Amino acid sequence: MGEKITFKSYKEMPLCAMSIADMTYNLTGSWRNVRPYYDFKISPCRLGCPTAENIQRYIFLVTEGDYEQAWKAIIESNPMPSVTGRVCFHPCMEKCTRKDFDQAINIPAIERAIGDRGLENPSWMKKVPASRKEKIAVIGAGPAGLSAAFYLARRGYPVTIFEADSALGGTLRWGIPEYRLPNNLLDRVIASILESGPITVKAGTSVGRDITLEKLEKEFSAVFIGTGLTKSRSMGVPGEEGRGIEHGLEFLRKVNRGEKVNPGARVVVVGGGNTAMDVARCARRAGSEVTVVYRRTMNEMPAIKDEIEEAEHEGVYFHFLAAPKSIERRGSGPLKVVFQQMKLAQPDESGRRRPVPDGDKTFAMEVDTLFTAIGEEADAAPFGKAIELDGALIRTKNESGETSAKNVFAGGDAVTGAASVVEAIAAGRKAAERIDRMLSGQPEPAVEEPRTISIENINTAYFTKAKRVLAPRITADQALKGYGEIHAGFDDELLHREADRCFSCGVCNFCDNCWVYCPDVAVKRLAAEYEFDYDYCKGCLVCVTECPRSAISTREEGR
Amino acid sequence: MKKVIMGNHAVSYGVRASDVKVISAYPITPQTQIVELLSEMCAKGELDAKFIAVESEHSALTACVGASAAGVRTFTATSSQGLLLMHEIIHWAVGGRYPIVLVNVNRAVGPPWSIWTDQNDSLSQRDTGWLQIYCESNQETQDTIVQAFKIAETVKLPVMVVLDAFYLSHTFEIVDILEPEQVRPFLPPYKAEVRIDTASPHSLGNLASPGEYFELRYMIQKAMEESRDVVRDVDREFEKRFGRGYGMVKPYRCDDAEYILVTSGTVASTTRAVIDEMREEGIKIGSLKIRVFRPFPFEDVYQVLSKAKKVGVIDRNISFGHHGIFYQEIKSALYGRTAVPMVGYIAGLGGRDVTPKVIRSIADNLLTNKKPEPDINWIGVKI
Repeated sequence: MGEKITFKSYKEMPLCAMSIADMTYNLTGSWRNVRPYYDFKISPCRLGCPTAENIQRYIFLVTEGDYEQAWKAIIESNPMPSVTGRVCFHPCMEKCTRKDFDQAINIPAIERAIGDRGLENPSWMKKVPASRKEKIAVIGAGPAGLSAAFYLARRGYPVTIFEADSALGGTLRWGIPEYRLPNNLLDRVIASILESGPITVKAGTSVGRDITLEKLEKEFSAVFIGTGLTKSRSMGVPGEEGRGIEHGLEFLRKVNRGEKVNPGARVVVVGGGNTAMDVARCARRAGSEVTVVYRRTMNEMPAIKDEIEEAEHEGVYFHFLAAPKSIERRGSGPLKVVFQQMKLAQPDESGRRRPVPDGDKTFAMEVDTLFTAIGEEADAAPFGKAIELDGALIRTKNESGETSAKNVFAGGDAVTGAASVVEAIAAGRKAAERIDRMLSGQPEPAVEEPRTISIENINTAYFTKAKRVLAPRITADQALKGYGEIHAGFDDELLHREADRCFSCGVCNFCDNCWVYCPDVAVKRLAAEYEFDYDYCKGCLVCVTECPRSAISTREEGR
Repeated sequence: MKKVIMGNHAVSYGVRASDVKVISAYPITPQTQIVELLSEMCAKGELDAKFIAVESEHSALTACVGASAAGVRTFTATSSQGLLLMHEIIHWAVGGRYPIVLVNVNRAVGPPWSIWTDQNDSLSQRDTGWLQIYCESNQETQDTIVQAFKIAETVKLPVMVVLDAFYLSHTFEIVDILEPEQVRPFLPPYKAEVRIDTASPHSLGNLASPGEYFELRYMIQKAMEESRDVVRDVDREFEKRFGRGYGMVKPYRCDDAEYILVTSGTVASTTRAVIDEMREEGIKIGSLKIRVFRPFPFEDVYQVLSKAKKVGVIDRNISFGHHGIFYQEIKSALYGRTAVPMVGYIAGLGGRDVTPKVIRSIADNLLTNKKPEPDINWIGVKI
């Protein structure tokens, strides 16, 4: 084969064109020069998810009606879909290919629906017994710590969680109001995690105060720190200490405890993040007139867009390009807060335009309570002797959360500063996986550049435009009457309607197109997959064109 | 055994006598009775062949190509639009050197739809490399089928046997039926040179570079040239064995003829009746039937026509923008060798009857027309 034959005369030639060589290497003859093969890519939504949820797969399983497997597909990378389905900033939707066709898939609503069905079916979570000798300590029972504990317990490690507070959940419990994440639901989520494996909880135990990190290092094979951000940042404005000024997080904590709050008729919330939105909306529920004052503009607000919209619906006012300059108190009456007008200058290291004072333009407001929501800081001081810090944050070497101390790992906001629930979950999971590899002596997996697709790879002829399916919701007026959830969950009908919109980017979902269109009947339809019969495939690549989702790639035929 | 049968069934009996192993066809008027009778023969076990019903003529001929590549004798029949749909595979059969025998019942090409005869369907396949033999009687048709397989398998080119719609296909005549036992010594089982073999798979008809394609085309033309002797020899051997021979061409009363009418198909027999009538009137006229159109019988045509004073050619076909196709072929056969004047006649398109009266009018025109002789005379057209 491969040898060039030169005929000197027609007399040396066969009667008709034919291969001189044996064609067993390619039974279709020499016709095919390129072969199709099933080649599943990673959907863009999954790449967009910080914890790499297999979104395409669980949506596909929903379309198949298999909620249990769908739930298990999520649980592989996120132990609390009921939480993230409600509070995540869903970067997956930003990546959704369908965004470039009509509207992105309502991924969080599907995730929430499957998460809630998981809570309704506790038997789906198979309890894992302790199978490892090595004990692991987890400090902090927020999303990072719970995630680390869960994935370690799934691998059979006995885990002890140390939580300074009396109740578990961290920012999930204290930082997020009930209309976004009901307490009883959070209780069930945490219970499901704690019951999933060999996890012990030591609540009310503060590492640093009640026990030292050094002691934990000695008693446990590995320690994971996920203490989050515990200190509210202060504004550095004269008069900020005292009556009428309160940290937003403190307010949220009171609200979440069910304490009666009365911030007064006129409330100002300083800040543009999710805490600011939560505080503003809770103050609206307490009957206040609320203005959010932010030093940049709406475009730069770090809060989740949906939360900003909901705040607007609920009658929260916004005042942009202003920052508090001074605070005056007169007797027991309202505060007089003077604000400096700001303008946007060159972008700073966050990529957002930096706010600077706009000359000496100021204005004043009468305020009963001013809430600060300008960010929180870590309090890593208790660990300062054992591990290296980065300012108030914990310094880590990599995504697995390795710190300067062997066997001590960290993740979540305590490492990154204010980030998100899903990023904390991802950090907890990655640290758990790293700890497992370390303790079982497994090598680090090779990192491959993920292959994905974009709208250009979708055969949109196979899809009809359909608006995103939204869950039923209550009105803003109804919402302001209490702390009930804004959106109901998807019922089965809505769930399937929305799941059916998914393109299943880059991954086969058994639509049969390749099987139907193959002109040479070279696609075999097996129980759970297709297979090319290369004895018949002529390499026409009709299958590649007709695959709506680019789940088939091509490779040049080797000769 | 002699039987009174229609022309189409004469084809079927010819196929039966030839021990064909695979028949694939798609029905089309006026050919349908050929494959109807063949399918009955297969069903009754009178013919040990696989009958492959297909969804189109393209597939019918493709099935024959596959069967032929697998090394068996194979046959199909079609007509007009069906033949045109086969066109791609008509070429393929030649390039692959498959000795397929195909019967085309000459039917005019649409639109307008017509089921009646003329020769434009088969003549439009003139340059594909198929041998073409035009028949005029049911007996000749049956016998030509048997001859065609022997010729095809000798020269390794496909052969098209052609007969007129209705005037021959549906006309009943006495035919001396050939039995397979009689024919076998004349036509032994087919042994293919290029075969599909699962034990040693090869790609057939695959890509050839400019370095090989040219030679493969040369070999086809060479086979065509050599096929003249083969056609002649096969006919002679057939005649020796069965007492019937047909020749490349059939001259009639041409030895002393001053005028000769050239014809083909069923018009040839009608013309001979007119020749007899005119001979009785003392007119020195003869006729020449072209039986084998491909390979073209240059020498036979020259030998007969070069002695005449004037030649008329009756074409039941037209090459638009040129002349009648037989007319141009004969002209090119004589060019440079003789200056005998020629007149072209177009007659009987779309099945219009070419009666003795029509042929007599053509003969009279040939005798009387003055120079310059027209290349095209439209006979009977309503101008």
